[in-house]
Amino acid sequence: MTTAPPPQPFAYLNAPKAELYGQVLTVFAQARERFIVHLRPEDVAGELRWGADGGAGTVPLEAVGGALEQLVEWGNLRADADTGRVTSVEDFHRARYLYQLTRHGQAALRAVLLYEEALGQRGQLQSVALADIAEQLGLLLVLAEQRDPDPVKAHLLLLQLADRFGSLADNAQAFMASLRRTIDFQDGDEEAFIAYKDRLVEYIERFIADLANRGAQIADLIGRLEGAGVARLLLAAARREASDAVPLGDGQEEAVDAARQTALTSALTAWENRWRGLTDWFLSRSSRQPSQAKLLRGAAVSAITGLVNTVAALNERRGGRTDRSADFRALARFFAEAPDDAAAHRLWRAAFGLTPARHLTVDAVTEALWQDADLPAATPWGEAPPLEISPRLRETGSYERRGAPNRVADRAPARQVLAELVEQEAEQTAAARARLATDGPVLLSALAGPNGLDAQEFRLFLAVLGDALSARIPGESESSAVTSDGTMEIRLKLVDAQELVEIPTVDGVLSGPEHVVEIIDLAPAGGRQ
Amino acid sequence: MNSGPPADVQAERRRAARALLAAPLLTTADEDFRLVRKHAAELAAWFTQETGWRLAVDAETARLFKSPSRLDDATRPARTPRTGVAFTRRRYVLICLALAVLERADAQITLGRLAEGVLTAAGDPALAAAGVEFRLEHREERSDLVAVVRLLLERGVLHRVAGDEEAYLSASANDVLYDVRRRVLAGLLATTRGPSTVTITDPDRRLSALTEEVSPDTDELRLRSLRHRLTRRLLDDPVVYYAELLEGERAYLASQRHAITRRITELTGLVAEVRAEGIAMVDPEDELTDVRMPEQGTEGHLTLLLAAHLATADGPRTVPELVDLVRELAVRHSAFWRKSAAEPAAAADLLTQALDRLTALDLATVDGQAVRAKPALVRYALAAPIIRKARSRS
Repeated sequence: MTTAPPPQPFAYLNAPKAELYGQVLTVFAQARERFIVHLRPEDVAGELRWGADGGAGTVPLEAVGGALEQLVEWGNLRADADTGRVTSVEDFHRARYLYQLTRHGQAALRAVLLYEEALGQRGQLQSVALADIAEQLGLLLVLAEQRDPDPVKAHLLLLQLADRFGSLADNAQAFMASLRRTIDFQDGDEEAFIAYKDRLVEYIERFIADLANRGAQIADLIGRLEGAGVARLLLAAARREASDAVPLGDGQEEAVDAARQTALTSALTAWENRWRGLTDWFLSRSSRQPSQAKLLRGAAVSAITGLVNTVAALNERRGGRTDRSADFRALARFFAEAPDDAAAHRLWRAAFGLTPARHLTVDAVTEALWQDADLPAATPWGEAPPLEISPRLRETGSYERRGAPNRVADRAPARQVLAELVEQEAEQTAAARARLATDGPVLLSALAGPNGLDAQEFRLFLAVLGDALSARIPGESESSAVTSDGTMEIRLKLVDAQELVEIPTVDGVLSGPEHVVEIIDLAPAGGRQ
Repeated sequence: MNSGPPADVQAERRRAARALLAAPLLTTADEDFRLVRKHAAELAAWFTQETGWRLAVDAETARLFKSPSRLDDATRPARTPRTGVAFTRRRYVLICLALAVLERADAQITLGRLAEGVLTAAGDPALAAAGVEFRLEHREERSDLVAVVRLLLERGVLHRVAGDEEAYLSASANDVLYDVRRRVLAGLLATTRGPSTVTITDPDRRLSALTEEVSPDTDELRLRSLRHRLTRRLLDDPVVYYAELLEGERAYLASQRHAITRRITELTGLVAEVRAEGIAMVDPEDELTDVRMPEQGTEGHLTLLLAAHLATADGPRTVPELVDLVRELAVRHSAFWRKSAAEPAAAADLLTQALDRLTALDLATVDGQAVRAKPALVRYALAAPIIRKARSRS
């Protein structure tokens, strides 16, 4: 064992045969786990052979020997003379050693393992951790609401919380980093990417849901805890830690007190710091300082977007037949070489196929004309009804609105029929009125005359009689009324309520007590008011 | 046909089909995108069966790869949004270069970065040989780029995040940030062959090479290809004249006319105007077109009057004759027309615009100085009021 050079236990990492050195050291590390300390070169070679699949990666004994010597030189291993029995002369003459890990070598090995582990760590977000945190915060809240919380319970709860939260934060950090790695490998291995993408999307989706649900719950609990005085619990926990940290003993009382005070302050600061970390994680201080949870959610969402873009890019690369950039450059040349603008327009239509369809129009009137005419297919355009153009458009170059205007229905004939009807009715009424009018008072029974009342007269009479009767004040025997249209007046006087008279009409016989009636035509025939 | 889909489903599908015919590339920003997506399966089946056009619909875009029905149509240029000005050769070159840059770009790009990329791409010696150069130093040159960007914005290839193009026009230091919508970008090109694989130099043959489809080798496939060609023309073009068809097409259309037009009517609601000279699928709803006739306004009115004049004239007219006519009409209708239309110099310009409309609608041809009416033009013959009255329902 030489003492001259200082140990360089990490040197092997950059050496040309780093892989072999690594394998050899791993053999030692594994042997140590089996509580074997010394290894002969043959043992190492044997282990290496055993580890390699089917002897494919067999390492010759000489190479192993060389590696061992080199590692001894760097200080990773220590070589002790092997005093065991040998079975051949050659072995006896050869320098024989037993190897074991040095302290430096061991430390370096552990460091490298840790390093690789951290590198290989796939970030993960445990929804379990979120649930645990929520649960512990709940318990803490119960404790905080007690008047005299148990410091032991508080301390233990806070410790668990810190532990859980620490692992969550570490994982989240690793997760964000690993997301970036996956999205960055746009030019990487397609198959691996495609296999990975589905799992990742699913994972991110679950995570976002968890974070959204639990995050809100946790933020709420934190708020309530701060209201319930979480500071007391933090102080209690700090006290317990401080009392642990300073062993009571022979020192002077004052110095011990001061030391305890310092320990308490630092413990309290540490706890307050952790609490703030937890708060910042789940509560946004302002829109410019979003919470970690929010940032994480944003990162996860954009990870999905990035993923989709990567997939799209991969698909596009697969679909491309020729180099499209070269295609466009070739087209640019074609356009440049086009003899005139017209040729360029034709090329544009052919190459890009983006031009709209173009069709003549027809309006409903013209279409109907064609159908009515039932044109044979051999009709020349000149003989078919042409498109109807609105006269206004033809004259002025604009129309009120697009399309043929609706035809206004001509109602003149109908109106004439109605007018005739109205006139006829008015004439009939006037005639009836003239016939019904009496020359002075007459008996009701005598009103009808020998032929009775015709339909027109009777209708009119009923109307005026109704008006007169309704105008009569109860108990009175006389009344008079003017019809609502102001064309007739009727005066009515009861003769004998017991004597019923009959008035024959075309529609039947009207009977009632005898009256004296006088009907006056206020609008004599022809002249309407 | 009594077992078709319910009326409302059919109406929705009709709207979706019309939306695709009017704008073959739809994005989520378009009103009818949802309908297209809903009826994607039926529409795709129809278009494949009847036209051979592929319909690709995903969550963000709907693209009908409308391979053109004819290659000699120069009346449908790309137009700058808002102004409606047709693209020049320069702008076409620029849009292709911009697309080449975007194809290679990240998910976001600025106008300045795009301009840089275009300048680099414009260094192609083939472009210089064709006499196209870009420096983007002057306002006019920047306005070419802005026109291109606006078209891409309109089509949904780009999505503006911050800034505006107007500011960039006044000073190139004012940059604009865009999202690049790769899905839309990926659906832009509709050629059947990648242009970079086409080595032909003759412009006309280059066009057919770009759109070439597998030539049919059985009778059945030949017939199907015939049907596709005819249906495409009927779906896209205002009039299909028998005289302009090939012999085989004409014969097929004569025998299958009814079946083909009926299927188009079922899908789109367009009505077949079948005449001795040809077929026009006309639109009773007056919406499935980019050029309207009759149309209001000075140009629309002039187009109408010009149509009446050409329809009743026997034989072709010359451009100078028509310019005189326009001047006359401008005086007669000065009360209704735009003020500037009465200026003597405006006549030639107005005539060009009116003739552009008539040729776009395939109602007239302009061959050098000779303007000829095509058969369908007489459908606009403006009948005298007396005849209208005699025909009107009583």
